[in-house]
Amino acid sequence: MAENEPIRVLVVDDHPVWRSGVRNDLETSGVAEVVGEAEDGGEAIEMAREVMPEVVLMDLQLPQVSGVDATRQITADSPHVKVLVLSASGEETDVLEAVKAGASGYLLKSAASDELVAAITRVRAGEPVFTPSLAGLVLSEFRRIAGTDPAEPELTARENEVLKLVAKGYTYREIGEKLFISTKTVQNHVQNILTKLQLKKRYELMRYGIQKGLDRAPD
Amino acid sequence: MSDHARSGRLKPLETLRGGSRSLVTGALVFRWVWLLWMTGLAAIGQDEMARAWLAWLSIGAAASWTLWLTLARSSWNTTVMLFDVALAVWMVGASSFVVQEGEVILGRPFFATGYPLSAPLLWGALRGPVVGAITAGILGVAHLLTRPLNGIPLNELSPEQVQNVTGAMLNYIVAGIAVGLVTRLLQRSAQALEAANEEALQQRELSARLAERESLARAIHDSVLQSLALIHKRGSALATRSTVEPHEVSEIAEIARRQQEELRSVILREPEPSPTGRLSLRDALEASARDVDGIKVNVSAVGPLWLPTHVSNELQAAVRQAVENAARHSGAPAATVFAEDDGGDVVVTVRDDGAGFTYDEARLNAEGKVGISKSMKGRVEDLGGTMHITSAPGKGTEVEFRVPLSDG
Repeated sequence: MAENEPIRVLVVDDHPVWRSGVRNDLETSGVAEVVGEAEDGGEAIEMAREVMPEVVLMDLQLPQVSGVDATRQITADSPHVKVLVLSASGEETDVLEAVKAGASGYLLKSAASDELVAAITRVRAGEPVFTPSLAGLVLSEFRRIAGTDPAEPELTARENEVLKLVAKGYTYREIGEKLFISTKTVQNHVQNILTKLQLKKRYELMRYGIQKGLDRAPD
Repeated sequence: MSDHARSGRLKPLETLRGGSRSLVTGALVFRWVWLLWMTGLAAIGQDEMARAWLAWLSIGAAASWTLWLTLARSSWNTTVMLFDVALAVWMVGASSFVVQEGEVILGRPFFATGYPLSAPLLWGALRGPVVGAITAGILGVAHLLTRPLNGIPLNELSPEQVQNVTGAMLNYIVAGIAVGLVTRLLQRSAQALEAANEEALQQRELSARLAERESLARAIHDSVLQSLALIHKRGSALATRSTVEPHEVSEIAEIARRQQEELRSVILREPEPSPTGRLSLRDALEASARDVDGIKVNVSAVGPLWLPTHVSNELQAAVRQAVENAARHSGAPAATVFAEDDGGDVVVTVRDDGAGFTYDEARLNAEGKVGISKSMKGRVEDLGGTMHITSAPGKGTEVEFRVPLSDG
């Protein structure tokens, strides 16, 4: 996986025109190459096993298996594969679900091609693409039922602070300067926030199971 | 129409809450009536009393307490309740010492009469049937004990006297429970009504959104699909011909361009107010973010932020001015608009990482460069809010608008 080799990308979208547009953008950039295209979540799961991409560009609205479900399966199958969600606006709930399912970030489909290339480079490097609007979504998710259940993962005061600054559009470096911490520490906070979000999802599922009596073994 | 709906929505709820309050007021009024009655009886009968001074002392205590209760309605708490019950027990018990020995069983009214009953009535009305019954039960027992305290052993009571005592105890308890039950009923009805109102509100918002989606689908179906069909047909026809005139191609391009504009206007139109008179500030900010030229605007919001229409409109306008300012002066390619509900205030920040400047309101005033900043500030100050600008050369600019949301 040498630095100058193009990043292997799998494009998942049910719209052929969109897929060829993305392919074109990535290949002119020289930074990434499209190693496969899938038009449904099920196909994406299979192709991710076959063509071994480094980054999957995932649409959320897919005909049969949804982008959220495909994200969950792909990140479970191969944790080193990074999923970057590309969504239309107005799909906030699904975006949040995808991130809880293991996506490393999301961009709006209206993002410029250099933004897309930059985001692909970042997720390949293991850095989440945490846009301001995603930070806003995550903040509202943590505030939604905050304090009702003490066992549920919550953000620390510092994590809240970092998240709010990300939502306001500050870069990690700027946040570090503002809070007198290193950029690396800011990155760690962001990573912890995402981990807590995923833990929260697991915790919610578990609590749901307990409420429905699913935790009891059948007699 | 919506005003009518709203007043129709609030009235029963207010009536129910009012009902609960007037029950408490009634209990207070009864207390005063009993206080006067007790004072009158004592004035007439003081010559026959064994200890008239004790009667006047007790009446004085009851009068001060009643006055304080009436004036300090807001500070009624559990301590006040316990004290009130203790005083009621004292009033019942004092009867045994005020009258001559053996006289409590005489049929005529004596000393404290109804005053102690005001305790179970009041606390039953405030705290429900259980508290009413317990308070009344305590007084019932005190009532029973006045017999031995007055020198009449319980086992020497005649059947008729037992009936009298039992009847009095039951009266206390029934009154306490009844008033508590009425209060509870009123409260539950108010809660049920409130829940129903909330649900109706959500339903209306939902149906407004569905209606919007439908009209969007209709617009797309009516014009976009027709145009696409036309483009497809003409394009296919041209493809079969060996020579094509440039104007024929540009006609097709023109259809596509017109359609593109129409579609934009359908999708990007300003959000409409929901029938409840509220707008989503997030939707409003996203809508205006799309048509600002010269800068890319990212919107992040914590939730949809439903605000009264005028608050949302004014904030949207102020934010737009801040963004246009950033587009003109900051040189930054993008700005971020962040909106959240911060403990009852709605806070919106507009932030760019461009050139920045030294913000000095006095200097800007002196140089007459206050136009936009003053206009933005005016908008939020009219809403009772504040504007705060943080900036430094090379450090970008952050404009924060904070508007309090008085419950409504």
